[in-house]
Amino acid sequence: MSRNAILLVVILAGTLAGQSKNYTPPRTPDGQPDLQGVWTNVTITPLERPANLAGKEFFTAAEARQYEKETVERNNADRRDGGAQADLGRAYNDAWYDRGTKVVDTLRTSLVVDPPDGRIPRVAAQGALVGPGGFGRPPEGPEDRSLPERCILWPTAGPPMLPSFYNNNYQIVQAPGYVMILVEMIHDARIIPIDSRPHVDSKVRQWMGDSRGHWEGNTLVVETTNFNDKTRFQRSGANMHLVERFTRTAPDTVTYEFTVTDPSAFTRPWSAQIPMKRTDGPIIEYACNEGNYAMEGMLAGARADEKKAASK
Amino acid sequence: MRKGFVTMLGLAGLLMAAAPAWAHHAFAAEFDAQKPVKLRGTVAKVEFINPHSWIHIDVKEADGKVTRWMVEGGSPNALFRRGVTKDALPQGTEISVDGYQAKDGSNRANGRDITFADGKKLFVGGSNPDEQPGK
Repeated sequence: MSRNAILLVVILAGTLAGQSKNYTPPRTPDGQPDLQGVWTNVTITPLERPANLAGKEFFTAAEARQYEKETVERNNADRRDGGAQADLGRAYNDAWYDRGTKVVDTLRTSLVVDPPDGRIPRVAAQGALVGPGGFGRPPEGPEDRSLPERCILWPTAGPPMLPSFYNNNYQIVQAPGYVMILVEMIHDARIIPIDSRPHVDSKVRQWMGDSRGHWEGNTLVVETTNFNDKTRFQRSGANMHLVERFTRTAPDTVTYEFTVTDPSAFTRPWSAQIPMKRTDGPIIEYACNEGNYAMEGMLAGARADEKKAASK
Repeated sequence: MRKGFVTMLGLAGLLMAAAPAWAHHAFAAEFDAQKPVKLRGTVAKVEFINPHSWIHIDVKEADGKVTRWMVEGGSPNALFRRGVTKDALPQGTEISVDGYQAKDGSNRANGRDITFADGKKLFVGGSNPDEQPGK
């Protein structure tokens, strides 16, 4: 596709979606651009461009419909093909899921917009993470299971925030001097001071890092550092430096962009763009620990596996 | 060109290494793929809770003995947003469960495919475009 044709697709997609960086958002009572409401970032556009779409930055409208059709079919948890392990892996009926059915309005083929190849520029030669919690042994206790299984942090809850397979909902509330982002998975509220105070001491490390915000025109810019070393966002952790940008680009859209920098995990900074669409919600409390019977089930499963191995 | 692209996408569907992620936790850690079970029973209790819902059913064995099973579903939040309520599955409703039994042999299974006794789907589908929030 020629550069002109690509430009045309971009312009058309932007116009059709009615989104514009020049859109003038409503104001809060204290005069800030109003980002408040319940928003969803659900989409089937992949974070990274699949290998078979290499060199193709945008779908045509027809290609997008075809991709949506095939992806929804592949994601359908009601299918039973692929053998018992795959069948069990799909867990339960499709009705419980909410993966979305549409690609993003821009028709981009990846959420990653920079580098232009749509791929995360990972540093090479890193070993695979082992085991569910990265421990390489059967889980002896809850600490050996992964963070989401322990109801501690959902991998896409962020920051940065990415779509997952259900409950992709966020509520933004603004008060003078603060913005709060409530993430449905796993009921995390990030409270972001909007002033010039410095980050907390570098010795203080937090699951969702330490966020500071400021306004650049109509865009809320949030800088986050001080992550702990237990999170693994795309293999980044304590060294991650994150800048998020929230811009109301239409009455029903907040365009969410983020840039990740971590020389220990990436060869260069990379950026993604995801539209957050207004939704009626509601956000429903995801009280995770209280009902996590599965933790007992998984540990009992590990003990049963050991018993079976010992009796052989 | 378009036809070639569509074929390419079709192939990608088959070859896609990046299989979609499923569920809040690894079901293979909890249930045994080599122990498929088919259960038919009546609903005793429904727990619409996170991270996953549990449907308790009473299953009558051939000898008349009744055994209580716990059947694991998914997060109820998306169902609630589609209008499903706790009254959707009243006590006594007869359902069929196709799933895999817990590795430790207890009477737990995942609700891989749950239907009403007449074979109708329990809840509406998750991929219905008309039900997508923010459409």
